[in-house]
Amino acid sequence: MKVERFQELAEAYGADLRRWPETDRAAAEALRRAEPVMVERLLFEAAMTDAALHASASPQVSMALRDLVIASATAAGLSHRRMQWIAGRLAWMSGAGWAAAACAGVVFGLNLTTQLTADKQVDAVLYQATMDGVDDTEVLG
Amino acid sequence: MALTTDPDEDLVRRVGQGDPAAIQAMVARKLPRMLALASRMLGDLTEAEDVAQEAMLRAWKQAPRWRPGQAKFDTWLHRVGLNLCYDRLRRRREVPTDTPPDRTDDGPAPDRGLIAAQTGIRVDAALARLPDRQREAIILCHYQELTNIEAASLMSVSVDALESLLSRGRRALRQTLADLAPGHDPGASPSSARAAEGGRT
Repeated sequence: MKVERFQELAEAYGADLRRWPETDRAAAEALRRAEPVMVERLLFEAAMTDAALHASASPQVSMALRDLVIASATAAGLSHRRMQWIAGRLAWMSGAGWAAAACAGVVFGLNLTTQLTADKQVDAVLYQATMDGVDDTEVLG
Repeated sequence: MALTTDPDEDLVRRVGQGDPAAIQAMVARKLPRMLALASRMLGDLTEAEDVAQEAMLRAWKQAPRWRPGQAKFDTWLHRVGLNLCYDRLRRRREVPTDTPPDRTDDGPAPDRGLIAAQTGIRVDAALARLPDRQREAIILCHYQELTNIEAASLMSVSVDALESLLSRGRRALRQTLADLAPGHDPGASPSSARAAEGGRT
């Protein structure tokens, strides 16, 4: 990098090389080592302008503005989306609950039917045992 | 278009899902930047607050449909903020007003002392008097700390043109604020000379 280019960059971006374009920084550092007196003079001039710019304080965000902006997220539907998502999850969970209850009912009903059928079969066998001339297959089917 | 690494990507995604903590984090991260941008562009805190609020509202609307990898969210938000500022600056030009700017440069006054707040006011006033494009370049690069490529893209100029705007703007500021430089002789400042001249006539 030539001194002229270094001067252009210092005048544009200031004395802090971290603010310079990334592609120029290594060459600028190399020139700084090679021509320290010239380069430091250029940077000193740029630093004075930097210092003046830094004197301009950034405005502080008031609590009222912060609250307004957060509230505007709700107005824009962001919180609503969240609630919709939660409602959707609840609805899904509710549906899944009803389905599980229905399945449990079917299983219970099947078990109950099997139990009742077995009791009836036992009764039929015992009844058949007291009777003569009736075939088991006729009673049990 | 090349994929861009965006430090805000995860936060924007969570904001888009309506995550309250992410919304608060976004406000903490971006609202001060938008307020600073608009304040320096417009030179009026009340208007700057309106612009910052509107920019954030657009961010909320954009977040659920934000497509990562195409642009940085911060750069997009600066585009929104700048456009809102341009609208207001255009309206000011269309509606002439007798009301003077609320920031005036009275020059150095030894009896008031050299306090930092007054220096800041002088710098703000000097910035406000710069041509729009020079001021915009300095605001984007120096205060908002955007890269030269981001700033040039937002201003729709080449990087060379951006550097020229920055150099001319900084040079003008240096001349306007020369009396703030260390070692400057206060008696030789233009405003002191003007004051002395005014006293003689």
